[in-house]
Amino acid sequence: MIEMKPIQTIPLKKIDLFDETFSVNFRPDLQNLRSSIREVGLIQPVLLREKGEGYQIISGFRRISVLNELGVFEVSSRLFEKNEKDESQLFSLCLHENVTTRGLNSVEKAIALQKLIDLFKVEPSVVIQTYLPLFHLEPNEKILNTYLSLAQMEDEVKEFVIKEEVSRSNIRKLSALPQEDRKVLIPFLLSLRLGENRLREILTLLDEVSRRNRKKIREIIDRSEIQTILSREELTPSQKTEQVKRFLLELRYPRMTELERDFERRRKNLKLPSNISLSHSPYFEGRQWRIEFRFEKIEDYHSIISFLSQLKERKEFEELLTPPQ
Amino acid sequence: MMLPYSIDRIYLDEKSEKDWVTEKILQALSHLPVERIRGKRDLIKKFLSMPDPMGIGKRHLLITRGYGKRLKRCPGTSYHLCCGYYVINTMTNCPMDCSYCVLQEYLNNPLLTLYSNIDDLFQEITLFLSKRDQALVRLGTGELSDSLALESIFPISQFLIPFFAEREEGILELKTKSANVDSILHLNHRERTVISWSLNPPRIIEEEEKGTASWEERLEAAQKCQRQGYPLGFHFDPILVDEGWERAYEETIHSLFKAIEPRRVVWVSLGGFRYPPDLKKIVEERFPKTRIFLGELFPGKDLKIRYLKEIRVEVYRKMVRWLKEVDPDLFIYFCMESQEVWERVFGWAPEDSRDLNQMFGEKLRKFLRKG
Repeated sequence: MIEMKPIQTIPLKKIDLFDETFSVNFRPDLQNLRSSIREVGLIQPVLLREKGEGYQIISGFRRISVLNELGVFEVSSRLFEKNEKDESQLFSLCLHENVTTRGLNSVEKAIALQKLIDLFKVEPSVVIQTYLPLFHLEPNEKILNTYLSLAQMEDEVKEFVIKEEVSRSNIRKLSALPQEDRKVLIPFLLSLRLGENRLREILTLLDEVSRRNRKKIREIIDRSEIQTILSREELTPSQKTEQVKRFLLELRYPRMTELERDFERRRKNLKLPSNISLSHSPYFEGRQWRIEFRFEKIEDYHSIISFLSQLKERKEFEELLTPPQ
Repeated sequence: MMLPYSIDRIYLDEKSEKDWVTEKILQALSHLPVERIRGKRDLIKKFLSMPDPMGIGKRHLLITRGYGKRLKRCPGTSYHLCCGYYVINTMTNCPMDCSYCVLQEYLNNPLLTLYSNIDDLFQEITLFLSKRDQALVRLGTGELSDSLALESIFPISQFLIPFFAEREEGILELKTKSANVDSILHLNHRERTVISWSLNPPRIIEEEEKGTASWEERLEAAQKCQRQGYPLGFHFDPILVDEGWERAYEETIHSLFKAIEPRRVVWVSLGGFRYPPDLKKIVEERFPKTRIFLGELFPGKDLKIRYLKEIRVEVYRKMVRWLKEVDPDLFIYFCMESQEVWERVFGWAPEDSRDLNQMFGEKLRKFLRKG
């Protein structure tokens, strides 16, 4: 338990605003905080530590930034002496305060975990057992590694992760890619505006097509077929997503695509009435075919049955049922 | 004794303490720490909660007793033709670490587990064989582990081979990716034991079959067994279809039969890579660079995921052609394939699994008569 210090008023100009040792902020949204401070002032004092002639911020970076912006000269603070606590204890205090007040987004959690290990030299096993639960995360190595990989990715990726609330499994997929691929990938993904599941599908397809065809992801995204889809202004993002996905599926499963096209061609040759549908077995695995029909009147029923009974005489039908050689 | 696999520790279930094979294992691995345990449930639970249970489990040996039936019909798979094989479970899990191995998903116990009550197992096999009719039944120990990988410390095949040599009703198959045959070469097998190798082209062995013997080592081991008159089997299973697969498999077949006399080969099986849906996630965690899932793989009627049927047919036709070019009399069969695929590749298909089993019996009797 850390003893709480009495509140003191400290002039802002004595605080080193550039020292971000204890900061975990990433693209903070200060709008609400600004309104609140304007309205009622600072409610919660910040935490500072003596540093040379001035002070270092332990917790309260956002509050101090807003106060500075609003032209306030002083801030209510709790002060720690220079060597009173070790840095990891102070960082822990900062994290506890942040988690119990505003909460941390996933990038901030990543920054915090990285600082714990790299800057404050806390053992990874302690980070797993102590800090992951503090962030409401399961205490295991895989999750720690996911966040550490996020901390190392470019700011554009981090912004994307926050904006789209990207899941851990998709963060892992992004982190496995080369930086050059991510640079091209993020604007591409943003233009499609994908949900979590679609994002996973597109990332998986891109990864598999890239490895299968030994092409870089940026080369796949740069393909004219994809660029044409993206440039079509009349399409909504979800329509673009569907078309991009279809194209990636064709690259990923060329033989299946060929079979589907061949089946479609043969099916069209049958000139089936619109109320009769014909489908092949799932993934062409079995030998079964399925015919479905819809009708309202008895005459329709008769005409369907008559059409179906004549099918067996037609060479197009026989051709459709014959497996390719 | 130094093993080519890394084993860190032995857990010895106290119920196994007095079994004769336990002493042999402990002697062979006398450099390893031994922890005595009462019951295995808590240990298995502890290992299952670890980040990579299967990877860690392979480095920890559990000696325990096996209860319940240890000789079972191969479960096969629904909607596909199975060959009527029987599996003998002498151990579970395997010290080798093939990326495609279904045991990663299948086993509830991730430890490398040796069952020490061997006498019970022999009784079970004796009873089973005594109830068989005329059909020659095939049994093997290579389903839930590798038959020979741990032979130097757990010498069970050395007892199974003479045991089957004295019997008319069954043929034993020892299926392996190792080259550990020296301890069985001198045994009297009376051609009642088939030594078989799972084969893949050397590049796949290097990339996807961690801890297994190299292509050259397997071939050399097969030659040694051939010289000792053992019938041989080869399993191209799982066939992995990736760029350049045709050349790789064709060369593998040619190089195999440069070293091996086809008339001493009792069977060759072919099976495209297939897997239960839950395997992919496990493998991608354990082998992030693997290329095995990059083929055109789709769910089948049995919910297992396989190469597109057209691809399987093409692969099998080519493999059969290359094999038949070596020897038109080679007995080639498919593991877990549909009747339709049999028909499209061979122009005929067994009527059902029983029919396939009978076919095996006939081929085996013919092989044994030939000597």
